[in-house]
Amino acid sequence: MRGDPEAHELIAPGNLAAVLQLLAAEPGAWTPIAGGTELMVAHAAGRLTARKLVSLWEIPDLRFIRVDEGTIAIGAGVPFIDLRRNAAIAAQLPLLARAASWLGSIANQSRATLGGNLVNGSPAADSSPALLAYDAQVELISARGRRTLPYEKFHTGYKRTALAPDELLLAVHLPRRFARHRQYLRKVGTRRAMAIAKVALAGTALVEENVVRELRLGAASVAPYPTRLYRTEEAILGNSITEETIRTARRALLAEIAPIDDIRSVAEYRRRVAANLVEEFLRELMHSAAPVDAPLMNAALAAWNSADESTALTQMLACCGARRWASAMVAMRPVQDQEALLAVADRIWAAMEEPDWREAFACHPRIGERKAAHASAPPSAQKSAQWSRQEQSGAAQAEARVLEELARGNAQYEERFGFTYIVCATGKSAEEMLDLLNRRLGSDRATELREAAEQQRQITEIRLRKWMAA
Amino acid sequence: MSTRWDSIRFTVNGQPRTVHAPPMKRLLDVLREDLHLTGTKEGCGEGECGSCSVRMNGELVNSCLVPVLQAEGAQIQTVEGLAPDLDSGGALHPLQEAFLHCGGAQCGICTPGMLMAAAQLIERHPHPSQAEIREGLAGNLCRCTGFARIFASVVAAATHAAPEQEPDAR
Repeated sequence: MRGDPEAHELIAPGNLAAVLQLLAAEPGAWTPIAGGTELMVAHAAGRLTARKLVSLWEIPDLRFIRVDEGTIAIGAGVPFIDLRRNAAIAAQLPLLARAASWLGSIANQSRATLGGNLVNGSPAADSSPALLAYDAQVELISARGRRTLPYEKFHTGYKRTALAPDELLLAVHLPRRFARHRQYLRKVGTRRAMAIAKVALAGTALVEENVVRELRLGAASVAPYPTRLYRTEEAILGNSITEETIRTARRALLAEIAPIDDIRSVAEYRRRVAANLVEEFLRELMHSAAPVDAPLMNAALAAWNSADESTALTQMLACCGARRWASAMVAMRPVQDQEALLAVADRIWAAMEEPDWREAFACHPRIGERKAAHASAPPSAQKSAQWSRQEQSGAAQAEARVLEELARGNAQYEERFGFTYIVCATGKSAEEMLDLLNRRLGSDRATELREAAEQQRQITEIRLRKWMAA
Repeated sequence: MSTRWDSIRFTVNGQPRTVHAPPMKRLLDVLREDLHLTGTKEGCGEGECGSCSVRMNGELVNSCLVPVLQAEGAQIQTVEGLAPDLDSGGALHPLQEAFLHCGGAQCGICTPGMLMAAAQLIERHPHPSQAEIREGLAGNLCRCTGFARIFASVVAAATHAAPEQEPDAR
């Protein structure tokens, strides 16, 4: 610790009005400090020039997330940990939730605030690309009053902002109108946690009849401050996405950005990577070009894309109890739409092996029974049991004789193959399931294992569809 | 320039404490110097390494980046608070037991921070996946273990399973 704590004054008035009065009385004399993840680092190194600091930490007027009809308003004092845990942000502003989860570490996210990230003015700020892509507005406040400006006008130069000496950033306002947009975010750094971006890009695009109708690209670490890529957007807007569009966009981007060499990377690398990120986004758009009246992005899917890992995992485990499959699904996020999700689910399932298959089988009750042999985790098991009851409703109405035969068949099957008889039961009567059971009892084990895995695949698909329709 | 000192009250490991300190003094230094709770370590002093991790009002924080004035009224838990009755014959925290059995600690500088980050993780995700463990501990650096044994320790503590057999010597 090279800094001297006694060389700095710090006060905590505890409410916004008192802070604004202080800033008004001596404009420029007081430096606001929120979670300290920037200023305390300078302090420890003996580089903190501010002598008088005023704490904004846990001022209630700065720490709120408000969902209104048309916008989500986020107080400048909201720490990133709150952003990533908020359900409305996860569902409607998934890029911001993901950017929050990439910032530093959990301990940094507990303290670093959205306002601090912007006011600090770093060209590499983690939240900036997403805010630019979402067309954010920033609201500033002083004892003189409030004003709102587009976030893209907030940064005026390297570490310079539009804030007057007596002003604070009060809130960020994000329009809730991106549900139909394709969304993209990628940060390139040396590692996933704790890294400052070498380059980051966020994008939102509305594609209709294969033509890009609306587009916002926000980038970090390619200019002295986080910036919209207007010229690149112009080169793409109104066009369909072809190889030619991609080439044109890359050229426009390279003419537009001016990254630098520094300790984290070199300009040439940043230029190439930035162009690659734009191309990656365009290729995603190309592959997912949607028809005119494309449905809104599925709400369940959108929420899952940005849910925390254990929630996302629980939801997958309810659809299929194989943990390796569920983890792989979670690792594939974000998934754009229903078709992509089902395709990914099949692809991962095809790569599974016997232990995974058997783990999934064991999560279903025997046909005609209620309780599964094995339950994964309580919340997913509950959902899974509920779905099993729906799927096996055919067995619920069966005569006692059929149920007895099913029970005998199940036991015979388990003895022969070593796992539970599994059949995609939706729409099948108990008699049909019994017939199938008797037929499959005649197969050899390898064939039957494949057959059971295919049945599980069908069950998973039905459940994924139900989950997305919920 | 010499600044005014403040009397700052907060709760540390369940005990109400009052310290008299410059408001910009780091919580880390107050814990170690004023309260003699030297379990919390200083590593980098800039929020990168997690050695100084403590829990403040239920969230994990780097105590090197908290000016003590901002801890006014807060509930603080340090590594000493994981096993509060140790001196009177009480048990270690399950995480501490797991770190012992699985070889999750070597030189020990990162260990208190690792334990606090792991405690935070397990409170929010009682059965964490490997990916969640890696994310939960991503802000805590260890230069001895190569992390594998630390992750194994967290798994062992989370499952309350019998500790795995001693891994092969490095």
